[in-house]
Amino acid sequence: MAEPAPILRMVDLTKQFGKLTAVDNVSLDIVDGEFFTIVGPSGSGKTTLLRMLAGLEKPTAGDVLLREQRINNVPANKRPTCMVFQSLALFNHRTVGQNIEFSLKMRGVSRLERRARCLELMDMLRLPKDYYGKSVTKCSGGEQQRVALARALASDPDILFFDEPLSAIDYRLRKLLEVELKDLHRATGKTFVYITHSLEEAMVMSDRIGIMREGSLIQIGTPNDIYTQPLNKFVSEFMGEVNLIEVRTGSDGMLDCDSLKIRATSPTKPAGFTDGFLVIRSEFMRFLAAPSEAENHLRGVLYNEYALGSRVQYHVRAGEHMVVIEKLREQAYRGSLNDDVIIGWDAKDSVLVSD
Amino acid sequence: MDHEKLLKKMLQNDPVRNAGATRRDVLKGIGAGALALGASAGVMAPGLSSAARELRLLTWDGYVDPRVLDGYTEASGTAIKYELHTSDPDSVNKLRAGETKIWDIINLNNPWARQIMWPENLIVELERGRFEPYFDKMLPMFKPPYKWSMSLDNEHLLGVCQRVDTFDFVVNTDVISQSTGKKEGWDLFNNADMSGRYGILAYDNWNIMHMCMGAGLHPFKTKTDDQVAKFEETARRWINGAKLISDDFVAINLALINGEIDAYISGGTYSVSAARLDGISNLYHVVPESGPADGKGGINWIELNSVVNNPDLHPEAFDWLEYILQPETSYWVATAGGFLLPVGQMSQPELISKFSKEELNSFQWDEFDYRISHAVEYDVVPDYNRLYDIYTAALREKS
Amino acid sequence: MATRPARPTTVAALAGWFREPGVLTATPILIFFLIGFVGPLVIVLGFSFLPERTFGFHGDWTVENYLQIFSESYYISFVWSFGFAAVTVVCNLLIAYPIAYGLAKVFGRWAAPFTLILVMPLFVSENVRLFGWMLFLLKGGGILAGSMEFLFGVETGTLLYASGSTLLGLIYVYLPFTLFPIVLGLSMVPKDQVDAAGDLGANRWQIFREIELPIAMPGILIGGLLTFVLAVGAIAEAKLLGGQNVIVIAHAIQHEFTYAQNWPLGSALAVLTIVITGVLVLFAMRRLDLDMLLGRR
Repeated sequence: MAEPAPILRMVDLTKQFGKLTAVDNVSLDIVDGEFFTIVGPSGSGKTTLLRMLAGLEKPTAGDVLLREQRINNVPANKRPTCMVFQSLALFNHRTVGQNIEFSLKMRGVSRLERRARCLELMDMLRLPKDYYGKSVTKCSGGEQQRVALARALASDPDILFFDEPLSAIDYRLRKLLEVELKDLHRATGKTFVYITHSLEEAMVMSDRIGIMREGSLIQIGTPNDIYTQPLNKFVSEFMGEVNLIEVRTGSDGMLDCDSLKIRATSPTKPAGFTDGFLVIRSEFMRFLAAPSEAENHLRGVLYNEYALGSRVQYHVRAGEHMVVIEKLREQAYRGSLNDDVIIGWDAKDSVLVSD
Repeated sequence: MDHEKLLKKMLQNDPVRNAGATRRDVLKGIGAGALALGASAGVMAPGLSSAARELRLLTWDGYVDPRVLDGYTEASGTAIKYELHTSDPDSVNKLRAGETKIWDIINLNNPWARQIMWPENLIVELERGRFEPYFDKMLPMFKPPYKWSMSLDNEHLLGVCQRVDTFDFVVNTDVISQSTGKKEGWDLFNNADMSGRYGILAYDNWNIMHMCMGAGLHPFKTKTDDQVAKFEETARRWINGAKLISDDFVAINLALINGEIDAYISGGTYSVSAARLDGISNLYHVVPESGPADGKGGINWIELNSVVNNPDLHPEAFDWLEYILQPETSYWVATAGGFLLPVGQMSQPELISKFSKEELNSFQWDEFDYRISHAVEYDVVPDYNRLYDIYTAALREKS
Repeated sequence: MATRPARPTTVAALAGWFREPGVLTATPILIFFLIGFVGPLVIVLGFSFLPERTFGFHGDWTVENYLQIFSESYYISFVWSFGFAAVTVVCNLLIAYPIAYGLAKVFGRWAAPFTLILVMPLFVSENVRLFGWMLFLLKGGGILAGSMEFLFGVETGTLLYASGSTLLGLIYVYLPFTLFPIVLGLSMVPKDQVDAAGDLGANRWQIFREIELPIAMPGILIGGLLTFVLAVGAIAEAKLLGGQNVIVIAHAIQHEFTYAQNWPLGSALAVLTIVITGVLVLFAMRRLDLDMLLGRR
């Protein structure tokens, strides 16, 4: 089967603001119909990258190609793309209907057609019909999200860009909207390019993820690739609660962990690896009844425990480290704080990354 | 010609004094209001002696020169507060409205004391024995009993005189010669060729007198309906023919110097002396050789300093009158900031010797006798309100 | 028999109201406002119904002053003043909008020094600034005429003493009063909404009409109204630069209060000016629903 054709290509794309290089030589192909998410901390240049794709910033160097056509100098209002802003940027002085119909009105679509399309979108996004004449400022946060989505979809763009639209929303609603977005992606079949600072959010929705740091894309892959094979410490830290242990390769192939004064068995080493970090995800760290139950073990003291709904998280103090362990509620550790505990992991559950 | 120097000087002299209600006026108003409040409080508070308060002048600009004010304060220790008039009738109405409680001295043009203020009990009389000797020493025209200083029955002395001159029109002698101006008189502005070449200095009451002159009418005599119609015709023609009208003589002098206009109606030494002192001697005050007012075309004003009928009169009010008549003070008054004008005391050698040749020339002293002899004395215009309404209507309807 | 609580009387309600700490603390200011602002207006209103040339509150009430205004040519002054004010507002809106746009959206850190330059002339008296314009525009020795003749050998005719120069003065003097409310209005336009509109297909003109103009409208309207009200009462421009070839309404009022000494007629003119201005402003304000424009509804 042939590779699907890229709808959007970035070739050595660079953006400088004075002396600051916000986006540094980024090359990336986005496939037609995929849900691609760019993840990075604030200041990593992801918003600038997205704004260049939408036509709101001009690249300093490099090209943006849409279906192999160079669109560097095509202004935003002439591109078949649409963006959902972090602030949503709803027109507060207009009604829900006027917001959704905005792009159609700008294109001179007749009032009747506009209204029909608007009601169709409102129906698709489960906005009640009588919201048509309502001021957007009177809508709830979730409703405003849907208005913004409908507005972006109204002119039937080829690509939708999302600039952290869920960042200001509370946890429960965010989880709900993540699912809705993914369903919307499936329903419309459009290409979605999404940026967020939350890898967790990206994991839920994306077909592919790109990790961005200081203007560069440092790792691109499926959620599973990123999850199981983070490229370096930066990527692994991004995934939240992971244990990072500084190690170097010993003469026998075992790993020396100076800070814990132990030697650990090594997973498959990346080519040329000498020293770096051993990554053990919190759910792969186990409480042991005896040291022999795992390939590697540590002794420590149970410092605290936190109930996280279906799971429980433990912090175990071992030397200078605070090791994080997560268990399902039914597998919870039975004991009390300040217990001396033995914890351990197998080499197959760990990953080696460079600095 | 050193225009720049003149402009700077003019700006320093506060060109906006006459430019209408400014913030300064408002502040001044507030100040006066505060003064009025303070004064009434003073009246109500018994133990507060009037000697403890300052001497208060309601005056034209001649007496607010720092030399005049500080000279008195240094000699007597009494502080002085003052307010400048906007017009003679305006200040008379202030006294009528009860401000006699505030002011000690009022300095107005000649007709008001004997015709209005004395009959209405707004001023008090002066001791003839004390002040008439000063009249003896003045120019011959002031020989006591001098008409304008006396009550209508010639019994009571109502004030002392100092600044005196005529107020008529001004030409630029580079364009209109002195002799043409004098010969043509007010008909100069009746000439169709002058349309668009002259301005009007909007001292409204003077404009009305001069428009009477232009209409061939005696300004100070009651007019028939036909004569009022003649006045209206002249007023409208003159106003419509004026290139600019301004109540700011600096603005109008500038227009004259720069060739925007060649002459202006209502002007005289009062408005040109400062510019002439700065060497712009082509600004020239003209008194017509003849005119409709008893054969004369000029109008002679005399300022009169009177004592207000203040129930709480400052005890030094009369001393102030004597102070201003001294030769030194007379010189200061005659050369007060920006307004160089003749004073009646110039007959005294010790005073005239104080003036430089330039200062004398600034107010055309060599022609003073000619001016006075070709002018009628300023008086109340009998049909003033009627004529004024015609005048303002003509201004509004200016085309 | 059950007793019913006595209904509070109006007096008791008022007394209660005056015991509210807010009302109590505002009372000195309220009294000052009544004496200093409302009082004079009431006096002016009263004077306008007195017989001509009276100076105190005695004499019979009359509407003679108003009849005189309507029967004589005062309408000319009203037309000039309101006409000048309207044209000044239109010109100033056109001039101020681009400058305000620059200050609010483009100049960035240069906006502050630029604003300072615009504000600095306000520290100089309006009359002195207008006098400066007069020196600039004078024929012969004027700065403009002098420079034109020196540089190009061209003789400029007279530029002063016309309604054009009056208008120039009005536009110049009242520009800041139009400008700064518009700057405030435009700074209320979120950049995101402008970007979003562009992204949704709006061109520059459509962004202006659909987004910037409606959102900035409160500022634009306030700037326009402020300028209009100030320009209606303007007097120095017509006097200094216009050479009094036109008698504006403030000047007509001044005539009556000074040389004419006809306070009742002057008061009637002032009352009419306030009433007409008030009606126009209220009409404009009714069309401006601040809440709607600020998106609170």
